[in-house]
Amino acid sequence: MDKFAEKFIEEAVEHIHVIEQHMLLLENEPDNHEYIENIFRAMHTLKGSSAMFGFEKISELTHELENIYDDIRNTKRLITREIIDLTLASVDHLKVLIKQGSNLTENLLNNHQYLLQQINELTPSLKSVELKNQHPKIKIISRQNITKSAKTYYIYFKPDSDIFNNGTNPLYLIDELVSLGDAIVMPYLHRIPDLFKMDPFKCYTYWEIILATERQTEEIREVFMFVEDSCKLDIYKISNNNLITHKKFIKRIERLIQEKCEIGINEALIIAGEIKESVSQKVKKVLNDTSEYGYKDYTATSVRVSSEKLDRLMNLVSELVSTQARLNLYARKENINELTIIAESTEKLSRQLRDLVFEIALVPIDVLVTRLQRLVRDLSKELHKDVVFEAHGTETELDKTIIENLTDPLMHIVRNCMDHGIETAERRMMLGKPLKGTILFKAYHSSTNVHIEISDDGSGLDLERIRNKAIKSGLILPESVLTEQQIYELIFQAGFTTAENVTDLSGRGVGMDVVKQKIKSLRGEISIESEKNKGTTITLKIPLTLSIIDGLLVKVEDIFYLIPLYVIHKIHPIRHNTLKLFYNNQITIDNQLIPYFSLRNIFQLPESNDEVIEHLIVIDYEDQKVGLVVDHITGEYQAVLKPVGKHYKNHEIISAATILGDGTVALVIDTNRAIKYFNRIFINSEDKL
Amino acid sequence: MTNASASKATPELNSYLIFQLGNELYAVNVFYLLSILELTKITKVPQAPSYMKGVINLRGSVLPLIDTRLKFGMTETEITPSTCILVFEIKKENETIKFGALVDSVAEVVELNKNQIMPPPTLGLRYKTSFVDGMATLNDNFVMILNVEEIFSYEDIVDIQEVTDQVKHTITE
Repeated sequence: MDKFAEKFIEEAVEHIHVIEQHMLLLENEPDNHEYIENIFRAMHTLKGSSAMFGFEKISELTHELENIYDDIRNTKRLITREIIDLTLASVDHLKVLIKQGSNLTENLLNNHQYLLQQINELTPSLKSVELKNQHPKIKIISRQNITKSAKTYYIYFKPDSDIFNNGTNPLYLIDELVSLGDAIVMPYLHRIPDLFKMDPFKCYTYWEIILATERQTEEIREVFMFVEDSCKLDIYKISNNNLITHKKFIKRIERLIQEKCEIGINEALIIAGEIKESVSQKVKKVLNDTSEYGYKDYTATSVRVSSEKLDRLMNLVSELVSTQARLNLYARKENINELTIIAESTEKLSRQLRDLVFEIALVPIDVLVTRLQRLVRDLSKELHKDVVFEAHGTETELDKTIIENLTDPLMHIVRNCMDHGIETAERRMMLGKPLKGTILFKAYHSSTNVHIEISDDGSGLDLERIRNKAIKSGLILPESVLTEQQIYELIFQAGFTTAENVTDLSGRGVGMDVVKQKIKSLRGEISIESEKNKGTTITLKIPLTLSIIDGLLVKVEDIFYLIPLYVIHKIHPIRHNTLKLFYNNQITIDNQLIPYFSLRNIFQLPESNDEVIEHLIVIDYEDQKVGLVVDHITGEYQAVLKPVGKHYKNHEIISAATILGDGTVALVIDTNRAIKYFNRIFINSEDKL
Repeated sequence: MTNASASKATPELNSYLIFQLGNELYAVNVFYLLSILELTKITKVPQAPSYMKGVINLRGSVLPLIDTRLKFGMTETEITPSTCILVFEIKKENETIKFGALVDSVAEVVELNKNQIMPPPTLGLRYKTSFVDGMATLNDNFVMILNVEEIFSYEDIVDIQEVTDQVKHTITE
């Protein structure tokens, strides 16, 4: 039973992912029936199987949701923003429910009740939605034959309530306005009180008008010449084209009115902007790409394998590779022709096998992308910035553990883009940028690395401001001369922030340094490019897999150690008594003073003879160079990393081990931690002296 | 077949492996035991407690090795032809811990029924009473039945402070 429950959870997670993914797609394309069908299907399956495995809460919630989507599917109900919000909130809740199993906290139950209540409050509105559906569709009033060169205006006209007193009939004004071209007139009557309370001498109505005309703003304003002081009047040109002939525009307006009852200049501008740049076209294409990928998932013949089995397979293969190395060694030593041939051909096979297995362990990055997409959506509401998230290369594959570790840093970067990068709609309008911001996610392979680019079309990094902030927080001196790149690097320093306001999301100065550390711990690199008012691009370079590392094999006494190649800067052979000449564990090499630690000394092994040549390995440690002294250097080695077991989990120097060709275990040094630790020992011993 | 797999799911197995440390006999439930190895090459891990002997290559994976004698406060294990490595696997909560334990020699596997096992003495023990599950007599010899989960848990091993102090001490000298 347990096994089945596990299977259920696995599948449920996938269903929830499908729902979330399609919800986000649906939001941009509310009419897409395919998305609705997919969501409905996933909910339906989830409901059934969760009930079967005793996850009552899940089935309860999905049941309610399913009803709503059934209505939507049968066009009995329109998808509204409210429904989308509620569904996504429910998706979050479902994720927690699955994780918690039967272990439900009070908080969780409260949230559950709240969601159910919200959904129920939606349900009775079914009738009114139906009514609204019958609500006369927007009527386009066309009095004049206008040419294609007409411009589109948004007019907000709200007469003061005592406008009748000076003999004005607002309807005449509207009539006159409409005579200028094609128009959509939306009167708002909801402020009219009960008949008994109503004052017949007061005007309660106000209007929104979309007008397509060849006239200029001033000419439109003339219509209202006599009432301008006794009304609230806004006239905006929202497009240089005639949008009223655009079906899509009309549709969006219709939907908006049904949802919100009012359009508002902001929405009008956004819709107009979309049509103008036909961004919608582009978005659709990107979305189609992703959705196509989603389908591939289902049609491809694939086999579900537990990650545990995969790990075991991985282990076996790396064992095979080590054994292979041993065979090669033996074959060479014995110099038997036949054996050498066999060894060579098995080597070919085992190498192919190894590559294949590592490939199997890779998963596409699109799980991560959905989370980012969701983040962008949620934040754009919260921050009132309209942002499109475009993703390319979501099929790029990476090691599963790397993807897990990348999630937080990427979320942070995207959060920064949303918060600091993309400007407010007003500012964007001022700068003549499209009102909708864009965040672009790109992933692609490059040799044994994967590159991930996140770019926004926001304000870009302000070099001057970063510099000033860095001086203020004491990171650099006022007189230091820095290149552009060096200034960008500053934002990765701990305790740095340029945001004037500390918001909920970012600006506390924790973040980018943590991001950098995290990427570094994945043996990756991070770089930044930016242009003022054009945007910022952050590029991550991540190795494909964590389980193979190129290292330098060294020896201290009789034990082999492996130092990751990417931290090594230089290697200097050095006579032991030369080291003795330097005081305080510092050595001058290439005119640079470098602190060093002798591993023999640290490991409390007897000192080498004075004449022995030792090796000083210069290592990049944080921003400086540190030397490690070892006895002997064996050479480069491509190592398959193995865990050293729970008993050494918190070891200060060793992070993993690897098995050499002859079966000997070599210990992999985590240089960052080790040097920190060596330093502590050193300082402690100095104190004692 | 079903019987065997059912009984494997619980530690209620009556088979015990008897091994020797010095002159004393100890027993561990075979439920925890994966295999018994001859001594192989040990790679010493620096800066670890002395009873953490190092790591060995167990068929392609890396296994931490504990010197049981040192852990029990005896002198360090002397390597003889009869020295063995017991490979244990403990499943605790959600994790599986695998490790090897160095012992002087392995004697035999015996069946011990519940009524043959006496409660452990409360006085005069060299180590924590939680280490011992009970006592039994075997051919007129006392056998101490060990609680594998307690003795070889790794929580107390990560006490790095102890190591650091030790290092500090030696460096000052």
